[in-house]
Amino acid sequence: MDMLTSKIFLRKTKRGKVIKVVREHYLRDDLWCGSDLCKKCNQENSEVLDDAPISSSTLCAYPHYVVVDTNVVLHQIDVLESPAWKNVILLQTVLEETRKRSTNNYKKLKEIMESRKDSFYVFVNEHHKDTYVERKPGESANDRNDRAIRKACSWYQTHLEESQLAKDKKKKVQVILLTQDFKNREQALKEGIPAFKVDEYVKSLKDFPDLQEKLAASHSEDNSENREPLFPEHWAPTRIMTGIKSGKLLQGIFHCSRENFLEGSVSVEGQDKSILLQGHASLNRAVDGDIVAVELLPEDKWTSPSGIVLEDQEDQDPGDQIEKEEALLTNSAKGKDRQPTGKIVGIIRRKWRQYCGILLPSVLAEGTRHLFVPAERKIPKIRIETRQAATLSSQKIIVAIDSWPRTSRYPLGHFVRALGNIGDKDTENEVLLLEHDVPHHSFPETVLACLPSMPWTISQEEVNRREDLRNLDICSVDPPGCTDIDDALHYRELSPNLYEVGVHIADVSHFVRPDTALDKEAANRGTTVYLVDRRIDMVPELLSSNLCSLRPDQERLAFSVIWEVTADAEIKKTRFAKSVIRSRRAFTYAEAQCNIDDPLQQNELAKSLRGLNKLAKIMKKNRMEKGALQLSSPEIRFEVSTETNDPIDVISKPMLDTNSMVEEFMLLANISVADHIFKHFPECAVLRRHPVPPASNFEPFLKAGKTQGFTLDVSSNKSLAASLDAAVKPNNPYMNTMLRILATRCMMQAVYFSSGTVAQADFYHYGLAAPIYTHFTSPIRRYADLLVHRLLAVAVGTDVTYAELLDRKCVQQLCNNLNYRHKMSQYAQRSSVALHTHLFFRHRVQDEDAYVLSVRQNALQVLIPKYGLEGSIYLKEKDDDSKPAFVYNPDEPSQTFGNITIRTFDRIVVQVSLDSKYVQHQKIAVHLVQPQIAGLSVEAIKTVNDSEPIPKKLKSGK
Amino acid sequence: MAEILLSEAEKAFIHHGVQDDLRCDGRTRLDYRPIILETGLVSNASGSSRLRLANSDVLVGVKVELASPLPEKPLEGRLEFFVDCSANATPEFEGRGGEDLANEICRFLQMSYMSGDTINLAELSVLAGQQCWVLYVDILILECGGNLYDTVSLAVKSALYTTQIPSIKVATMDGDQPELELSEDPYDTKRLNTQNVPCLVTLMKIGNHYLVDPTPEEECCSSSGVVVAVSGTKKIAAVRKIGSGSLHPESLVSMLKTASEVGAVVNKILMKKLLEEERAGKTQKVGFMR
Repeated sequence: MDMLTSKIFLRKTKRGKVIKVVREHYLRDDLWCGSDLCKKCNQENSEVLDDAPISSSTLCAYPHYVVVDTNVVLHQIDVLESPAWKNVILLQTVLEETRKRSTNNYKKLKEIMESRKDSFYVFVNEHHKDTYVERKPGESANDRNDRAIRKACSWYQTHLEESQLAKDKKKKVQVILLTQDFKNREQALKEGIPAFKVDEYVKSLKDFPDLQEKLAASHSEDNSENREPLFPEHWAPTRIMTGIKSGKLLQGIFHCSRENFLEGSVSVEGQDKSILLQGHASLNRAVDGDIVAVELLPEDKWTSPSGIVLEDQEDQDPGDQIEKEEALLTNSAKGKDRQPTGKIVGIIRRKWRQYCGILLPSVLAEGTRHLFVPAERKIPKIRIETRQAATLSSQKIIVAIDSWPRTSRYPLGHFVRALGNIGDKDTENEVLLLEHDVPHHSFPETVLACLPSMPWTISQEEVNRREDLRNLDICSVDPPGCTDIDDALHYRELSPNLYEVGVHIADVSHFVRPDTALDKEAANRGTTVYLVDRRIDMVPELLSSNLCSLRPDQERLAFSVIWEVTADAEIKKTRFAKSVIRSRRAFTYAEAQCNIDDPLQQNELAKSLRGLNKLAKIMKKNRMEKGALQLSSPEIRFEVSTETNDPIDVISKPMLDTNSMVEEFMLLANISVADHIFKHFPECAVLRRHPVPPASNFEPFLKAGKTQGFTLDVSSNKSLAASLDAAVKPNNPYMNTMLRILATRCMMQAVYFSSGTVAQADFYHYGLAAPIYTHFTSPIRRYADLLVHRLLAVAVGTDVTYAELLDRKCVQQLCNNLNYRHKMSQYAQRSSVALHTHLFFRHRVQDEDAYVLSVRQNALQVLIPKYGLEGSIYLKEKDDDSKPAFVYNPDEPSQTFGNITIRTFDRIVVQVSLDSKYVQHQKIAVHLVQPQIAGLSVEAIKTVNDSEPIPKKLKSGK
Repeated sequence: MAEILLSEAEKAFIHHGVQDDLRCDGRTRLDYRPIILETGLVSNASGSSRLRLANSDVLVGVKVELASPLPEKPLEGRLEFFVDCSANATPEFEGRGGEDLANEICRFLQMSYMSGDTINLAELSVLAGQQCWVLYVDILILECGGNLYDTVSLAVKSALYTTQIPSIKVATMDGDQPELELSEDPYDTKRLNTQNVPCLVTLMKIGNHYLVDPTPEEECCSSSGVVVAVSGTKKIAAVRKIGSGSLHPESLVSMLKTASEVGAVVNKILMKKLLEEERAGKTQKVGFMR
């Protein structure tokens, strides 16, 4: 016998190549049988297998060793845990196959073997020269393994026979095979191996009568690893193109629903309503952001969003199976609110990027296939192969998607790099910056080379070119701790009933010249991103916090807008000038407010502030009358510990008069500048518009209003503002704020654009009710303002133009990037707040007031104003339909339990804590709390969820 | 090729021998030297053979790979030949010394396999216009003992004969991209029909006679000859003249005729031996341990 053979098999690589793999396989003649009675093997005494095994089985009364088949381990692992098992031979074939088929059972088996070393003997039959079998032509891998098991059995049989020739026939130790596979048993019997069904054997163990209860219902082995495709195929590109041309298909961007991973929508350009998609097959492997081709379903199959909150909650790799989704989706209300529904037939362009996230804890850490959970909820889990799962399991990692074959439940990807430990603030910050595509590398040398050398002073030449406003009493008002001051104000009386008001903006365009490395970097970054504990600058710190920042008592270059206004805030004259200023003082909002309110303060600055405040109030009133909206979004600020940098308290940002005073003048400056640059550059002015939201956007808002008994008029911004003002409930003061929050969510995104690309009628800024608008006042932190500065400088004759500035296409391209960066920075800021909320709740559990934002079929979405935090309270669990105690009324919508009804905007009390069930996947948990109704609360615990650690109790929403 | 220094007397002796149809090693003009063939000795390759013709020693490995078919032949797979002249064969092959010879053999093999009758390349197609098998035939020349063309061609044919092509089926289509599924059974393979794959027959002209399977010494005496690719059906797939001398049309015609006769016999014997080896089943490989 040749002691070296090779295992040959074919394998398909990830890239579709077929390779032939040849592994050397060495056979040995020094593997012992592990039996005490054996006289041939060179083993030490006191082996696992007794020389006179005793078994209580009535089925085979003779002494025997037991060999178990793979299917026994796979299906009856619980039975094997029993101490009834003694003298069991586990074959390597069985171990290996178990490991391949079920990591779970393999782990359990390992544990059993570990704890009961004296009962289980592992025989390495695959490397034994007499028991190794080679696969025969036409034989399936499974059949070969069965044969290997039988071969090992018969080898044992003859091997043991040789050592007990002298024994009485009844006392001879035999080897029996336990299997669930009918075919294997049949074959074994034919070969003279005593073989039994495992259940029969277990039932015959008279010392362990309870054991048979553990027997799993035997079901026939399904060996066919037939991998049916799980998803419908994607059409060929040519077929999609013709489909789109003929109008049969629609092209759009796929958005996955945040709340339900089996739902998504496709927004098609030029269509008011987006197309709804439901279920795995309809979503057909699209990932959020992909450009897809959609086929509309016939109208009678249209549905409405299911309204349930659904998370893909598999804690382990479920393999390539799709859960039954009917149950998850059938609840969608038929009949009304129906929306065009379709299915994805092809992907036109993938928008895959790299995703941050964590590895799902795997049963078998040394396995190579793992599931990756992206931080972004809209992205599906990704299956990756890695050998370093053990080290990566505690880290945030980056993963890229490679493909999503039809046969795979999850997309396939690969590990890119690790970012750091989960929960580390630096890691998490890095994650959210990467997730939101915020360029946050330090500025390269080429950029820093563009900066002026220090010490820097304003040259006399420069002063001569500019208007010298150093004599004016200019001051700035900003939030506390602000180092990039980009605006300052002044106010003086010219004559009775005529006042001069100036807004002075940092002249960043003086430092950031077009077409320099600095300019390119700033254009790419687009905006400064403010995280809770960090600021990612658009321009290097020297500029943002020093040379451009309008610091008090320092001469700075500015771009000034100066108006002459009457006491009624009527503008008589507007002019623009590059200037040199010296701010007298940098106020915080609170300080400025004190100065205004304190009658003892009679200095020039206090007087100026009072005058400005008076004018601002008039201007605001005028603006509101024109239909400007006052919207609301919850904003909070963290009090950060100076030592640990961890948040220690949360405060809502206060709104002072001075806030709105500064805002008012900034708006005025922006509008004046917008007017001026549009006049000079009708083709390429950088403006900002806020489109009128389509009526359909307001639907949830109107519905919510209705539940509270308000009829809201959304026909224009003016009527909306009026109905918002009117919708007040004295007993629920926060209700109005909630309505405003909801209204904010109905709004479109305001965007930058080049005036040449949009009809003038569409310049309208809906939220501000301004016919034309731009951003001029924050050039330190927004690139758009910098562009506006350049345009304005040309318009007033203090600078020269360059080609890109006047090309509307170039400008529009810049605008598109700015819009993207702007949106992303907002998301990043939100995530940063969320991150700090997490850190904040790490060591505390708090009861807080909350309001119901929306009522869903299986959950309540609540808002906790104190933290600006949103959360879901699940009323029903996915798999648990026992006692649907809550009655859902989709029309209101409301959830009723007994005599308690919870509707939108109701105030409830919730308990907020950090759910650290998995260290890997911490999330804020929100639970209902009980202030009253003791009788109900007990029942409520049962109805909600038994497994919840915190008892949930209900309170009437009224 | 390796040049051997022969004296005039030696050359005359060979000459006279050929004339009398009794060559130095006792063969007649149309006799081959003994051939040793073993297949399947490179387990990593899909098909392999080692052929030794007297002192000429060649090892051939065939690797199959999936690729997209050539745009002009969407329904066919293809064969790619690569010849490596090992410096072990002769010191002259060191560095890039063997390159010219290698290219020459490669080109001629490619040419003779291109002829329609020899091999059905459509068998290698997996999915029309999308996927096909490409057979990379790697030929390693280990020793040069004359008559390299014949040796190589016989080895290649044997290797192709044993080549196992994995059976693959198109499981699903996805956006025009086929999802190929590999059979789980390693024995589930198919083989090419190599019945008509051509053998190369070298005829060397010495004096007024020509002979097959020349030794290096005989090659040295000859100024011209032909290599003929003869398919299993006696058809001539390709012809190439070697040597610097000229050939009379008349003798060329008769040489071609003889070559096709000889080729047919060689083909037949080779196929028979291959079949015999296959029938013998799994035996201990001898390899280079002999």
